[in-house]
Amino acid sequence: MVKNFLQFLWFAPFAFMSWVTSAAADIARPWQLGFQKPESPVMEQVVAFHDFLLILITVITLFVLGLLLYIAFKFNEKSNPVPSKTTHNSTLEVLWTAIPILILVVVAVPSFKLLYFQDRTTKPEMTLKIVGHQWYWSYEYPDHGKIKFDSNMVQTKDLKKGQPRLLAVDNPVYLPINTNIRLLMTSADVIHSWALPALIHKTDSVPGRINESWVRINSTGTYYGQCSELCGVNHGFMPIMVKAVTKEAFLAWTETAKKKFASVDDQQTQDVAQVQ
Amino acid sequence: MAYGATASAHDDHDHHPTGWRRWVYSTNHKDIGTMYMILAATAAIVGGLMSWLIRLELAEPGIQFIADNQFYNVLVTGHGLIMVFFVVMPALIGGFGNWFIPLMIGAPDMAFPRMNNISFWLLFAALILVCMAAFTGGGAGTGWTVYPPLSGSDYHPSSAVDYGILSLHVAGASSILGAINLITTIVNMRAPGMTMHRAPLFVWSMLITAVLLVLSLPVLAGGLTMLLTDRNFGTAFFVPAGGGDPILWQHLFWFFGHPEVYIMILPAFGIVSQVVSTFSKKPIFGYLGMAYAMASIGVVGFVVWAHHMFTVGLDVDTRAYFIAATMVIAVPTGIKIFSWIATMWGGSIRFDTPMLWAVGFIFLFTLGGVTGVVLANAGVTTAMHDTYYVVAHFHYVLSLGAVFAIFCGFYYWIGKMCGRQYNETLGKIHFWLSFIGVNLLFFPQHFLGLAGMPRRIPDYPDVYAGWNMVSSIGALITAVATLLFFYIAIKTLTSGKKCEDNPWGEGATTLEWAVPSPAPFHTHEDIPNMEKQPAE
Amino acid sequence: MSKPTQHKNKRTALIVSVTVAGMIGLSYASVPLYQLFCQVTGYGGTTQVAEKPLNDSILERQITVSFDSNVASGLAWSFKPVQNKLTVRVGEETLAFYEARNDSDETITGTATFNVTPFKAGQYFAKVDCFCFTEQTLKPGQVVSMPVSFFIDPQIAADKNAQDVEDIVLSYTFFRSEKKPVEPVIDAITSSKVRIKQKDQS
Repeated sequence: MVKNFLQFLWFAPFAFMSWVTSAAADIARPWQLGFQKPESPVMEQVVAFHDFLLILITVITLFVLGLLLYIAFKFNEKSNPVPSKTTHNSTLEVLWTAIPILILVVVAVPSFKLLYFQDRTTKPEMTLKIVGHQWYWSYEYPDHGKIKFDSNMVQTKDLKKGQPRLLAVDNPVYLPINTNIRLLMTSADVIHSWALPALIHKTDSVPGRINESWVRINSTGTYYGQCSELCGVNHGFMPIMVKAVTKEAFLAWTETAKKKFASVDDQQTQDVAQVQ
Repeated sequence: MAYGATASAHDDHDHHPTGWRRWVYSTNHKDIGTMYMILAATAAIVGGLMSWLIRLELAEPGIQFIADNQFYNVLVTGHGLIMVFFVVMPALIGGFGNWFIPLMIGAPDMAFPRMNNISFWLLFAALILVCMAAFTGGGAGTGWTVYPPLSGSDYHPSSAVDYGILSLHVAGASSILGAINLITTIVNMRAPGMTMHRAPLFVWSMLITAVLLVLSLPVLAGGLTMLLTDRNFGTAFFVPAGGGDPILWQHLFWFFGHPEVYIMILPAFGIVSQVVSTFSKKPIFGYLGMAYAMASIGVVGFVVWAHHMFTVGLDVDTRAYFIAATMVIAVPTGIKIFSWIATMWGGSIRFDTPMLWAVGFIFLFTLGGVTGVVLANAGVTTAMHDTYYVVAHFHYVLSLGAVFAIFCGFYYWIGKMCGRQYNETLGKIHFWLSFIGVNLLFFPQHFLGLAGMPRRIPDYPDVYAGWNMVSSIGALITAVATLLFFYIAIKTLTSGKKCEDNPWGEGATTLEWAVPSPAPFHTHEDIPNMEKQPAE
Repeated sequence: MSKPTQHKNKRTALIVSVTVAGMIGLSYASVPLYQLFCQVTGYGGTTQVAEKPLNDSILERQITVSFDSNVASGLAWSFKPVQNKLTVRVGEETLAFYEARNDSDETITGTATFNVTPFKAGQYFAKVDCFCFTEQTLKPGQVVSMPVSFFIDPQIAADKNAQDVEDIVLSYTFFRSEKKPVEPVIDAITSSKVRIKQKDQS
């Protein structure tokens, strides 16, 4: 109980800060100062850790600024015509070596915890396969009837009302909330990167190999991201759109998707038969 | 008072070659230093223009001016390559290094004056080649990091990337030869009595920089050659189809690339040390700590490269190691910041223009450095990688770090270099205008990055419009400030007031202040004797 | 410059130049070293090659292996696993199949790269025989069934970091091979199977 309370006390100011500074939506807000609202367990920890770092670095920077301003006032030529001769002070030198080391250790501990938490391979309840192309993403659901489709950005002239420019796609990814989802990423050509800021996801898709990561979404909504590795001329125009829905809604979607995105393989087999 | 250098009576006999031969065939460290500065200034105009075009396009959402996305990517690539290899490095190492290392250590010139000449003209050739890379066959739109497969022959089939590779090979050769020259000069040609522990900190910084160049540039050369043969001769170092791995390029590039950023900042540290000491009228606080802090930054800088690769799919323990190693660098850097502050403490400081730039450096480099600590943490970095947060971080430490130090060195040493002094009021205006401009330019980019705006995109979702406009206004102010700088430079060179040997008074204790201004063609022909100096 | 200084300078320059040459050599050495390192440690999910496993070291522990397939752009092949996933016992040799079809109208040779995730499972994933060890040449329209025989090394039980591994993904990506296509080694029986299959569907 006490432990929980102390942990709460520790994180409360940071949580408050993130509430104040982060946006309250699935997409960034104009003039936004901080992260998008976290929608996954990992992202929540990242935001909390970053808030802690932010306070730390602000204090350090203001401290240095304060010292410099004080020096400007107290030790300028007019105020202090005779310079001192001090060039050593062992105590000071030890302190400004030891205290930064201490601060860094204090930072490293939660940092490593976060890193290993992010890396856990829990038993995946489903898998999403993501392939980067120049310049769109294609998705595959190997556990749900091999649904396979491409996802292209909606051109500005084709935007419908409510669709954000440069972020909306024709075929979004549907994922169920509260599910451990394994993501497998690769590329068909050059290096791309699949990123979802609200879920703290970013892993490069590299041709010739598969990268794995996992994600768990807390609440329903629409989440956007953009390709995050320079991949050619339309690097800025291959967005990612994820619709997080309830588990039931997801299963219903897989049924319609199986029909909508009939497996390309079947079609090709048909074509070959006709050629004969 | 200057070190008891015997101001050489022979410093007046100034016969030297004239006309174009003086410059093309030069073996004089001052002339070569001057040529490096002019090359850097010219390249700065090109690289700066590229960045202003970028900021012009990004001022508002939507595509306004740059309809060709490949051209935008070429601008991004060119801006990075030019600023790193043709502005910061030549100005700090080729320019100030060549000019002031021999002067500070009491040597008549560099160890290999003819090789010095080759170094410069190689760089000139490299600059031509990089311009060709930008303008042939659609240009190289790969970013300065040139990752394959995008930079491979399938996705950049024209010769643009090959020109870029060649340019970097040649620039690398120039720097390696220059580094050999610097190391040999500093190690062997210090005046008698000037042990390393009595050498100015600028000398330390250049020595460490040169060692970093020697160890890191060959790795870049190796990687570049592999990319060249992949593109043109059928090898498969980075081609998965042939058994290669694109990630290998990233390892090789960043093994060079990370020491490269320390190569850019260490000379800046050296200049700031000289200026802070001069204007506080005190010797640097904790001289040994400062020297060995730079050495440890250099050493540790070699084992942190993969913090640029946290999202490619590295093993978790590997990432944990690189987080720890990267954060270690904050310790010697902190020692330096606090030592500069302690130097100023108790001093009698005149806040002339060079000192303004130095103090600005100390504050802004701290700011940039702490965002580096944030980025070092792989968990958080997953959110920031390839966003504008990274762009903000490295511009703070480079544009507001290394570039501030370049201006600092200019104002500090221009009188010695050309015999005429700059106008103090104009210098201060340049500083404050730049300070406001670059902070407006780069600070909002932290917010953009946190909000999720990716790098290297010509257009962005409308939500990012606000801070982008602020940033572009900052770019405009910086552009005006830069124009002011060129005006100040030209005015100083043509009609500046005559500058005395030592315009800075008792705080300027290094050997360059013991020779006339402008420094004669030949200096230290009689090598000064430092043996009677008190030990550090 | 005095003679002794010149001599010292030349010596220093030589030492530094040798260092430069050494670093170039190291960067080229990094290529095989990198591959060797990945091979030995399983970094990046690099798999191992092994002889048949010892039959008496099959464990009770089960791992689900999922099969993933990719085709690089520029290669007009369809390539997919015949089975989506298999649950295997650690140490037990298992056979799985992939199927590839040349959808173009020219003979093409392809070569496959591969890795497994999670990466820490790489050093325990041993292939006894794999189509990926050689290039594959397909005539236009040809369908080929490609086997891979593997087992999961029982050593995985001794690795406490790998205790939570219950799922492994084996992934292949087919690329167009740079070399000229050779005569396909695929036997006539497989080819005729293809013809029969197509006839059934028409």
